Amino acid sequence: MARGSSQSQSTSSASSNTRPGPVGIAPRGSAAATAGMRRRRVGGSSNSSSVSASGGGSNMLRFYTDDAPGLKITPTVVLVMSVCFIGFVTALHVFGKLYRYRSGAGA
Amino acid sequence: MGGGFRVLHLVRPFLSFLPEVQSADRKVPFREKVIYTVISLFIFLVCSQLPLYGIHSTTGADPFYWMRVILASNRGTVMELGITPIVTSGLVMQLLAGSKIIEVDNNVREDRALLNGAQKLLGILIAVGEAVAYVLSGMYGSVGQLGVGNAILIIVQLCFAGIIVICLDELLQKGYGLGSGISLFIATNICESIIWKAFSPTTINSGRGAEFEGAVIALFHLLITRTDKVRALREAFYRQNLPNVTNLLATVLIFLIVIYFQGFRVVLPVRSKNARGQQGSYPIKLFYTSNMPIILQSALVSNLYFISQLLYRKYSGNFLVNLLGKWQESEYSGQSVPVGGLAYYVTAPSSLADMAANPFHALFYIVFMLSACALFSKTWIEVSGSSAKDVAKQLKEQQMVMPGHRDSNLQKELNRYIPTAAAFGGICIGALTVLADFMGAIGSGTGILLAVTIIYQYFETFEKEKASELGLFGF
Repeated sequence: MARGSSQSQSTSSASSNTRPGPVGIAPRGSAAATAGMRRRRVGGSSNSSSVSASGGGSNMLRFYTDDAPGLKITPTVVLVMSVCFIGFVTALHVFGKLYRYRSGAGA
Repeated sequence: MGGGFRVLHLVRPFLSFLPEVQSADRKVPFREKVIYTVISLFIFLVCSQLPLYGIHSTTGADPFYWMRVILASNRGTVMELGITPIVTSGLVMQLLAGSKIIEVDNNVREDRALLNGAQKLLGILIAVGEAVAYVLSGMYGSVGQLGVGNAILIIVQLCFAGIIVICLDELLQKGYGLGSGISLFIATNICESIIWKAFSPTTINSGRGAEFEGAVIALFHLLITRTDKVRALREAFYRQNLPNVTNLLATVLIFLIVIYFQGFRVVLPVRSKNARGQQGSYPIKLFYTSNMPIILQSALVSNLYFISQLLYRKYSGNFLVNLLGKWQESEYSGQSVPVGGLAYYVTAPSSLADMAANPFHALFYIVFMLSACALFSKTWIEVSGSSAKDVAKQLKEQQMVMPGHRDSNLQKELNRYIPTAAAFGGICIGALTVLADFMGAIGSGTGILLAVTIIYQYFETFEKEKASELGLFGF
C-alpha cells in the first residue's frame, strides 16, 4: 500500500510539474504534444489523484505554454518594465501639472 | 499538411517581435511563486488606480459598464481595457481552432508556436484597436479637445498597459506564479468590489440624509443614530438604492453553495497497465467546465449590449434596432439600462418585485441563462479538448485502464459521464447565476460565480503546491 501510494504520488507530481514550461515538455515526450491543450488544465485543478481532470478554468484561454520563438524576456524584465511604465505615467501627470502651472503663471 | 495557403503562416514574420517570457529553467519554489504573484497583483492594482494622462472627462454613458467587473477594468485608469484584449483574442482563437477554420496540427511544434504567437498578436492588435476606438469615439472628450499629442499619448498608454497585462499573464502561467493572470485579476476585481460595497465609508446623500455606501457600516450607523431600532434594522436590510445587508448575506450564501457544489464529483477508478498496484482515480466533477460557460455567456451578452447600445444611439427609430434593444438612462447611477427588445430579456430582473411584475421577462431570462450555459458547456468540451474522446486518449497515453472494462470500452464508459456532467454542470452554473441575480448578490451573479470558482481553483492550486513541496523537500 505504501508503495502504491508513493507511486500515485509520483504520478501526481509529474502531472503537477507540467506547469513550468520545460519540465512540462520533457517527461511525457511526444505525448506532451497532443496533451498540450490539456496540460494546462491538468496543472490547473487536480488534487492528489493520479490522473487529473477538470474541464476548465479561465486559464484555458491560452493554448500552450511551450516556448515560442520571440523576443525573450525574463520575468524580472517584465516586472521592471511594468514598474517603469507606472513611473512613466506618473511622471507624465507630474510634468503635465507642472507645465500647466507654469503656463498658467506665465499667462 | 496539403500545402497551400494557411492563415497561421501570416503570423510568422511577426513572431520574432512578440515579447515572450522565458520559461523557468528550474522548479520555482513555492515561496518565490507567491512573491511573483503578489508583485504582479500589486502592479495590476496600481495600474487600475492610476488615471490615464491626458484625458479630459469620463462622463457620459459607459458602454462597457456591464463588463467592467468581469473584465477587470476600471474606467479612466490605465487599466481601462483590463483583460479584454487577452480574453477576446483567446476566445476568438479557441473558437477558430475548435471549429477548424484555422487548421492547427497539435503535434507540430511550429504550429503550436504560431498559434501562440497569433493569439498574442491578436491580443495586441485588439488592444490597439480598442484604444483607438475609445479615443476616437470621444470617451475621454473629443479629439479636438484633447489635442493630437494627448490623443496619441492615451493610445500609447492603453496599448502598453495591454502588453503589460499580456506579459504578466504569461509570466504567471509559465510557472513563476500561481494560476493564471486572467483569473487572478478577475477575482481580485470582484472581491474588491464586494469588500468595497460592504465596508465603503463614503457617504451618499439621497434625500434622507447622508447614508453610508457600505452595507455593514450603514447597518451600524443606522442602528446607532436612529432611535427606532426596528425601523433602522429594516432600513439597513432592505434599502433599495444602495447595497444592503440582504445583498451581503445573499453573496455569502451563494459563495457557500458554490463551494459545496464544487465537491460533487463522480470518481472513476483507473489502474496503471505497466505499474502493478498503482491505483488512481479519475474524478469527473459536476462543474466539469468550471466557470467557462459563464465567461462565454457574459462575453456573448456584453457584446450584444455593446452593439445594441451603439445602434440604438445612432438609429433609435429603426424597428430592427429596437427589437435588439431599447436603452434608457437609469435614475440612480446614470448608466444606460435596457428597457426593451432582446437586450432587455437577457438581462436579469432587478428585483423580486420586478420579476413578479414581468413574469415573461423572468421566465425568458431563466430559460436563456440555463440553455446558454448548458450549450456553451457542451460545445466547450469539444473545443477545448476535454471531451470523452480526448480524455480516453489521454488516459491511454498514460497507460491507464479502467478495471473491469476493455480498452476500447473506455471512451464509451467516459461518454456516459462527461457530456452529462458538462451539460448538467453548465445548467447548475446557470441556475446559480440566476439565483444570485434574483437574490441581489453584490457584484452580479456572473461576477460572484466567477470569483468563487476562481478562488476555489486557487485554493486547490495552493494545496497541490504545498503537497508537492512536501514531497520534494520532505519538511
